Amino acid sequence: MARAATTVLPPLRRPARRRDGWNGLLMAPTLLFLLAFFVVPYANMVYMSVLYKPPDGPYLRVFTLDNYAQALGDLFYWRILANTFWYALLTTAVTLVLGYPVAYYIARAPTRRRGWLLMLLISPLLVGVVVRSFGWMIILGRVGLINTFVRWLGGPELPLMYNVFGIIVGLVHVYLPFMALSIAGALQNIPPDLERAARSLGASPWVTFRRITWPLSLPGVFAGTLLVYVLAVSSYVIPILLGGNNVLVMPIIIVQKLLDAFNWPLGSALSMVLFGLTALGVWAYVKLMNRVLRWTAP
Amino acid sequence: MDRRAPVGIRFEAVSKHYGGVRALDRVSLEVEPGEFLTLLGPSGSGKTTLLMVLAGFSRPTSGRVLVGGEDVTRTPPHRRDFGVVFQSYALFPHMTVAQNVAYPLRMRGRPRAEIARKVADALALVRLEGLGERRPDELSGGQKQRVALARAVVFEPRVLLMDEPLSALDKKLREAMQIEIRRLHERLGITTIYVTHDQAEAMVLADRIAVLRDGALQQVGPPEAIYRRPANAWVAEFIGLTNFIAGEVAGRQDGRLVVRTGVGTFTCQGDVPGGPVLICVRPEALHIGATLPNRLRAVVRERVFLGNLLDYRMEGADGLRLRVQADPSQAYVPGVSVDLAFAPDEAWVVPAAGG
Repeated sequence: MARAATTVLPPLRRPARRRDGWNGLLMAPTLLFLLAFFVVPYANMVYMSVLYKPPDGPYLRVFTLDNYAQALGDLFYWRILANTFWYALLTTAVTLVLGYPVAYYIARAPTRRRGWLLMLLISPLLVGVVVRSFGWMIILGRVGLINTFVRWLGGPELPLMYNVFGIIVGLVHVYLPFMALSIAGALQNIPPDLERAARSLGASPWVTFRRITWPLSLPGVFAGTLLVYVLAVSSYVIPILLGGNNVLVMPIIIVQKLLDAFNWPLGSALSMVLFGLTALGVWAYVKLMNRVLRWTAP
Repeated sequence: MDRRAPVGIRFEAVSKHYGGVRALDRVSLEVEPGEFLTLLGPSGSGKTTLLMVLAGFSRPTSGRVLVGGEDVTRTPPHRRDFGVVFQSYALFPHMTVAQNVAYPLRMRGRPRAEIARKVADALALVRLEGLGERRPDELSGGQKQRVALARAVVFEPRVLLMDEPLSALDKKLREAMQIEIRRLHERLGITTIYVTHDQAEAMVLADRIAVLRDGALQQVGPPEAIYRRPANAWVAEFIGLTNFIAGEVAGRQDGRLVVRTGVGTFTCQGDVPGGPVLICVRPEALHIGATLPNRLRAVVRERVFLGNLLDYRMEGADGLRLRVQADPSQAYVPGVSVDLAFAPDEAWVVPAAGG
C-alpha cells in the first residue's frame, strides 16, 4: 500500500492547522526577503501611481488620481488588457490540451523512465528566455526554417511570427512544463487500480477517464492552469520578441511608459490596473476551484 | 440477489512474455461453473498475471481464454462482465460508498429505482447497512474490503476475481473475512477465482487450488489432495511443512512402493516409475513410539511448545533432519532417543529430480 509517490507538485489541500508558534519562525527569512524585494517596491509603485506627472520630469510629489483616470478612461488600454488576458487564456488552454496527455504518460511510466521524461520536459527551461525566443525566430521567421522549406515546396509565405501565433507558440513552449508537472503530480496520486476497477465494472476507456481520472486529477489541472495563466499575463520578453510590436500586451505598454515615455506615474497606474484585474480573475477562479474540489476531493 | 447460471472458465496454453521473461508459461486450466478456485504461489509465480489476463487488463502473448465456451481473449475488460476485487480495494475516493456500489449498475444504464434497491441489497449482503453515505476514507480496512466486495457482486457478474483481497488486514479480521467470502460464494454461486500467496487461506476458501511456480502450473486439485499427494517436491515444500527422506525405489508390493533409504526401507504411497525419489512425510504423520510398519530412530534436538502441540526438531541416522509435531500430553526432552513410525498411507513419494 505504501506507494512512494514522488509528487512533483503537492495537491492543493488545506494543511492541518497547528498552534505551534515557533514553527512560524521558519517563514521569517522568506518573509524578510519578500518584504525587501517585493512588498517595498510594490508599495513604492502604489505611491508612484498617485503622483503628478509634470511635462518636464518623471514625477512630482503632488497627489492626484489623474493617472487612473487616464488608464481607465482610454479605450486603447482596455483593448490591450483584453488582448493580454485573451492570449494568456489561449496559452493556458493550449498548454492544458498538450500537457495533459504528456502528464498522463509520465505519471504512468516506470520510475526510471519517468526521471528521463521529467528532464526532457523541463528542458525548455534550461535555456534563457531571450536565447529561446531567438531560436523560435530562426524557425518561424520570413526566411526561417519552416518558410524556407515551404517556399522550396512552392508554397506561399506563412505568417508565423510577429503576430499572435508566434507569441502563443513561444509562450506554450515555456509554460508547458509548468502545466504538465502540476498535472503529473496529481495523476501520480491516482492508483492505477482505480482505472482498472472502473474498467472491470463496465466503464469504457473514455468513461473511465471522464468519471475517474479527470475528476481526481482536477487539483493538478487547477494548479497548472492558475500557474500558466498568471505567468502568461505578465510575460514581456516573448511577446516583444515574437510579436515584434505588431501585437501589444500590457507588460509591453507598461515598460514603454516607464522607460521610453518616462511617465512613471502612468506606468505605475497601468501596473496596478493589470495587477488588480488579474488578481480579481484569480480570486474568482480559486473560488470556483474550491467549489468544484469540494465535490470531487477525496 | 438473483442467481445467474454460473459459467466455466478455460485457459488454453496461455503464455505471457515480458521481454525475455516468461510470466506465464503455457498455462492450461479448466474451472468448473460455480467453482471457487484459488491461484496459489509465491510472489512472481504468475498468479496475478494470470488473473490480469482473465480480467482483460493484460493480453496473453499466446493462448486463449474461454468463458462459458466463448473466446474472450480479445474482449476489452469493460465488456467481460467480471467483478474484480483488488488488493488495494480500489474504491473511488470521490464517491460515497453507495455511489461506489452503484457504479457498475449506472454503467449498465439500469433504472434509478432498481439501482437503489440493488445497492441496498448488496450493502446488506456484506453487512454494511446504513454506511452508504460515508466516503471511503471514513471506513476501516475491513469495511473498505466489504464495500469492494459489494461493488464487485452487485451487478451479478459472470465471474468474480479477487487479487489477494485480504492481505492488508490483520489476522483476526482476515480469518473472519475468509468465512464471509466463503458464505458469500455459497449464496451467490458465482464462479470465483481467488489469488493468494497464503496457503492456509487457499485451504480455507477453495474447492480446488491451482499451484503456480515461475509462471507454470504445478498442480491443480482439492486442498486435501494437494496436501496429501503433492505433484512434486516443490509443491510438497510450499504447502505446509514436510520431511523429505531421500531414497531409491526398490520394488512394489500390494500397489505400494518400497523405497530404500539411508535410514531404513519404507513402504509408501506414490506414483513414480522408479529411480531416485523423495519420501514426503508431514510432521504430524511421524508418531513417537507407535507400532506402524515404517520405523526409524531419531534423537530429539529441540522442542517448542505451540499450545495445541509440541514441535520437535529431531535428527536421524546420516544427519537426517526431521520435524515432528506431536500431542503435548507426552513430552520428550532434548537429547533423548525416540522411535518414530509412520503409516504407508501417510508417506508420499515424489521424484527427486526436477523439484
